[in-house]
Parts: sequence; C-alpha cells; structure tokens
Amino acid sequence: MSIMEYNGGSVIAMVGKECVAIASDLRLGNQALGISSNFQKIFPMTDRIYLGLPGLATDVTTLRDTFRYRLNMYKIKEEREIEPETFAHLVSSTLYERRFGPWFIEPVMAGLEKTPSGAYKPFIAATDLIGCINFAKDFVVAGTASSKLFGVAEGLWEPDLEPEDLFETCAQTLLNAVDRDAYSGWGAEVYLITKDKVIKRTLKGRMD
Amino acid sequence: MDISFALTGKGYVIVAADTTAARSIVKMKVDEDKIKVLSPHLLMAYSGEPGDTVQFAEYIERNIRLYHIRNTYALRPPSAASWIRRSLADSLRSRRPYAVNLLVGGYDTSTHTPHLYWIDYLGTMSEVPFAAHGYGAYFALSLLDRYHDPEASVEEGLATLRRCLDEVAKRLVVTPEKYKVKIVDKDGVREVEI
Amino acid sequence: MNSFLTRYSSTTPEADIRKAKELYGEDDDVSEMIWGSAGGFGNLAKGVPTFKVPAVPDPTSFLRMHTDDHADPSCRIKIKHGTTTLAFRYQGGVIVAVDSRATAGSYVASGTVKKVIEINPYLLGTMAGGAADCQYWETYLGMQCRLHELRNRERISVAAASKYLSNLVYSYKGMGLSMGTMICGWDKTGPAIFYVDSDGTRLRGDLFSVGSGSTFAYGVLDQGYRWDLTDEEAQELGRRSIYAAGHRDAFSGNTVNLYHVKQDGWQFIGNYDISELHYNGPGNVPGAPGGGYGYDVRVAGRSSANAPEDQ
Repeated sequence: MSIMEYNGGSVIAMVGKECVAIASDLRLGNQALGISSNFQKIFPMTDRIYLGLPGLATDVTTLRDTFRYRLNMYKIKEEREIEPETFAHLVSSTLYERRFGPWFIEPVMAGLEKTPSGAYKPFIAATDLIGCINFAKDFVVAGTASSKLFGVAEGLWEPDLEPEDLFETCAQTLLNAVDRDAYSGWGAEVYLITKDKVIKRTLKGRMD
Repeated sequence: MDISFALTGKGYVIVAADTTAARSIVKMKVDEDKIKVLSPHLLMAYSGEPGDTVQFAEYIERNIRLYHIRNTYALRPPSAASWIRRSLADSLRSRRPYAVNLLVGGYDTSTHTPHLYWIDYLGTMSEVPFAAHGYGAYFALSLLDRYHDPEASVEEGLATLRRCLDEVAKRLVVTPEKYKVKIVDKDGVREVEI
Repeated sequence: MNSFLTRYSSTTPEADIRKAKELYGEDDDVSEMIWGSAGGFGNLAKGVPTFKVPAVPDPTSFLRMHTDDHADPSCRIKIKHGTTTLAFRYQGGVIVAVDSRATAGSYVASGTVKKVIEINPYLLGTMAGGAADCQYWETYLGMQCRLHELRNRERISVAAASKYLSNLVYSYKGMGLSMGTMICGWDKTGPAIFYVDSDGTRLRGDLFSVGSGSTFAYGVLDQGYRWDLTDEEAQELGRRSIYAAGHRDAFSGNTVNLYHVKQDGWQFIGNYDISELHYNGPGNVPGAPGGGYGYDVRVAGRSSANAPEDQ
C-alpha cells in the first residue's frame, strides 16, 4: 500500500491557444472503499490561476488552506495578485519546506500569465511532492491515473487548440484515463480558463 | 472493533456508536458512551486507538466549550468540523499522533440545515449525507446508497439505521450487541433507544 | 487439416488412444486414458492433468514470492483479482450475478471478463480469485460431469459436482491455487448452490456472495431477500446488488452479467453496464422500478434542509 494511492484521485492540465484547462476526478476513497463522489481537488488561487492537488486527501485540505493564507498575505503585502510563474515558485518552496517529511501531494497548476504588452500567455506547471518544478509546454499530469493520463494525452493533445476544443480534449483524456484506474473516477470537473472568463463544468463519468 | 454510523434526514442528524470498550479479546465494558455532545447542536462519535479516543475527544469537547464561553455563540457545524479536522491533521505530523476516527453531526440553526462530516485519523474530511466507520462501513454504505432518503422523518431515519445494525449483526463475525443513538435537530440533542 | 500428421505422430492424444488400443484391444474395459478428445484442452485430454513445476527446491514458495502481491506489492507478476459475484436460491430457482472487472494492481486490465462459467446446460460456476485457476478447473469439472453422465446415464447432482471440485482443489492445497466459486444448478433435488474455495471449504446454502465487493452486495441482497420473490424481483435484486458493489468497491465494476437457473437449465438474462445502471437504470426490464440506481440520481432534488415554512 502506497500513501500516494491511499485516497486515489488524479489531475491533468493542458495548454491551448490563449487558454488553459485543468481537470480532476471527484473520488475520495479509503483504498478500495469509495467514500465520497464530490471531493474537489482543484482550487482557485487567483482569478486566473487554478491549483490541482492530487494525493493524500488530508494534505489536499491542509495545503489548500495554506495556499489561501499565503496568497492573502502576498496580496496584502504586494497590493496585487500573484503571477503564475511566481506562484509556481511559491508552491515549490512551500513543498520543499517539508523536504524531510513531505506533504503527500503532487500539485498541478494552470493559469494565464500577463505579458508586458498586456496580452495573456498560457501557463501550466507541475511539481513532485518535494517541489521540483516541471514547466511544460503541452500538458502535465499527476495522481494515481498519471501513467494512463500520459498515454491518452500523448495521443489526443495538439498545439493551439481553441477553448472549446481544448475543453473536449482535456475532458476526454481525463474521462478515458480514469476508467482504466481503479482509484480514480466517480465523476469529474473541468476548469477552462480564457482571458475574459473561467468556465467550470462538472462531467458525468463512470461511477464504478 | 468499533463501529459507528450516522445519517442525515429532514432537519436532523442521527449518530450511532457501539458501546463496547474492548481490550485484546476481552470486553472491558458494555455501556460506554462514545458520542460526545460538543455544543447544543453538535455531536461527535469517536472510535479508534484506545486511550487516544477519549483524550482527543475531551480535548475537542473542552476547546469547543471554551469557544462557546468566550464568544457567547457556539461554532457552527462547518467551522467546528474544520477546526477538529485541522487538530487531527496537525497531530498526524507530531511526535505521537492521535489515531481517532470521527463522525461529526450538527444542526446549523441559522441555515436550518443538518450537516454530517466523515473524518478519519489522518484528517481526511468529507461532508456526506450518511457515513460509517469501522467494518460496518463495508456493509452499511451500499445499503444506505439503496435506502437513505434526505427527506426522511426521524422514524424513517431510525428504521434505516435499524437496517444497518441488523445487517452488521447478520454478517460481521464479531458484533457489538448494543448501540448508543443520539439525534441532533433544531431543538438540540436527545438520546433515543433502539 | 493435420490428419496425416496426427495419424503418424507419437505424442498427440490420438497417439495415446492408438497405443491404448494396441495394448488393450478394442475392449470396453479400457483405461480412463482413452476417453475424451484433445479438444484444445492440452494435458486435460489424458484424463488426469499433469503440470510442470519450476526447477527449484521449493516450487510453492518460489511461486508465492513472485506472485503474492499482498505480501509484496512490488512483485513482478500480478495475478488478476478483485471481483464481486453472488448467487441466491429462491422459490423460482437460482439467480447468479457477477461483475466483469479484472484488475492488476490499480490497473483495470479488463472490463469485459466472463465470470460465469457455463459448465453444462444445468450447471454454472462463478469466478473469483485467480481467473485462470477458475476457468481451467471449472472447464475440467465440466468434462468430468459429462463423463459421469455417460457412465451413469443420469446428470450429476450439484452436490456431487461441487464435491468433485472441492476434493480436486483440496489436493492442491498450499500450492498457490486461488479460487472462490459458487457451483449453481438444478438437479433432482431442485435448485442448489454450493460455495467451494481453494482452502477446501465447501458449503451448501441459499445465498452467497464472494469477492472484494461481496460485503457491499450482501448489504443490498440481505435487505431485499425473501424466499417467495417473483422471478422479476429476484433478477432485479441480483442486478441491484452487483451494481452496489461495482459502485462502492474500486476493484469491481464495468458490467453486470445476470443468469437465471430454472428446472430446464440456465438462461442468460442480460449484460448491463454499471454506469448506465447508475444514471438510467436497467431500462425497460420487468421488476425494475425505473430510473437510475445511483444515490445522487435517486435523491436528486430532495434536501435535508429544514427551513421553517412561516418565513
């Protein structure tokens, strides 16, 4: 039994054309036993940064609270919202603080970065459980279905997808990957982040 | 092995816990109350490592009471559950963690909504319409998926609980013989016989 | 196609029969060896199966070391397991229902496994534990049941068939066989179910469920079970119970296979997708209440909130 598989759950984030999508399943389990089918793993950090926290469920809640606190402090001190790249480093250093007794979480983040010209640039990143950042240009995955997510995403993803196509790609990747994972599933949700709005959709997934 | 159940209904939460205190293969006590009344509208069933259970439950009980005294108003169920969860999560990474599983049920008098939280010894928390801890969960959850009704009256709710207890009595190898059952609703907490 | 080859070969089952004929002549009183055909059953054709074992001092512990993923999750060979199966006896016969998921670790290796083995038109076996063990030995049991029929001019009883299997797996006890099966059928005595497992346990009963999701199935099954269920109610109960297990247990799921055994043999009722059952129910099926089985689907729009009406 692995701690990372104790509660189950998976997250994926993908880059599109001037948009990003991040999606997760909704299962909370106690090993093989399903407890809840509405356990959220993705949380808004700012208006256009979303953080997915797959891993040990107690740490999902604790880290969500920790990041809320640290971002509030950042906002008060800096008098502005944090930018995605800065946020990735905040996530990284928060995890590395526990280098010798880690949070059992592999965060995935997605957001839009403001460029000096005023345009928005897609940003996704993931870290391991002690904070090694992976800035990807296509997609990032984590959780118990990560190996399956990689396989499906490699097959479906292509560059410069329009928002609705990106949503479909991300949703189908997640839905089909978690069906091959015993510890993920029980419904799913997708956040589609574009420069003028964020769309949240709850998906019907297989419930077994 | 401790067994506890809880379920919500129209304006109430029923919490049930077995009453045995066992040590090794011996039942030391058969009428132990393992459901604490934390505030006028809040109940907590606790189970797990002997020793840890009562120590932790009393720590929670006293601190929730202290909050009530200091602020005149008791914490509402979501906030109380959140604080209790955090206490367990912090304890998990301490030198000697509490190994206690909880079912926190309460009635929010300002929104007229019953709340039930499933919390395990790691500090995992989830709000659910019905819950169970111990081996009882493996029999009762599928049964509750089939029979639970969020709009059930207290009588119907108790009948559904009865089904869970009967099922556990029928299938589980070692079964507790007695359960303590408490209900929290708009009028506060009361105990019922089952 | 290979008739020329088989006629002159010295290693095929046909050759064994030829040799037996040479030895004993065309006599009625010949060895068991000549009965049966190759039929794709390999070493089964000889009557008594034989197995090659690893060339190590202790083959049993060698096998356990490399396959037992409970003791060592990192072992290289993960035997497929995780299942929910159930069978119950009632006034109208026997209902047999199973899921169809096979997992290797957390990987869902297949969602279309046939976990009911059709031993013969009157006997069904269910599959939990090692898939290969169940398939092989229950097929073998089918052959022995047929031989019984030919020798004794009557069908084997469910009790005898299950006892044959029980004795057989017991003779391999401690060597790593893993099976938990229910032998279900209809014989002279009426409907019968026997639970047989690789420990050597054999139990006659009215209602059994086996596998990782069995507790969830029992929860629904026990509460809905009565001897005088109608056929429609009984089929619905079997389907609903496997759904319950498929929903709650991570290692069960995908589809339900439902069988009904009556006096004139078993009948396949249907295959139902568990997700479809969750959202929409079994469709237009007699006995089904209509609507999805899922908790959220069933209680949609109902709330436990209790706002006073005079506000």
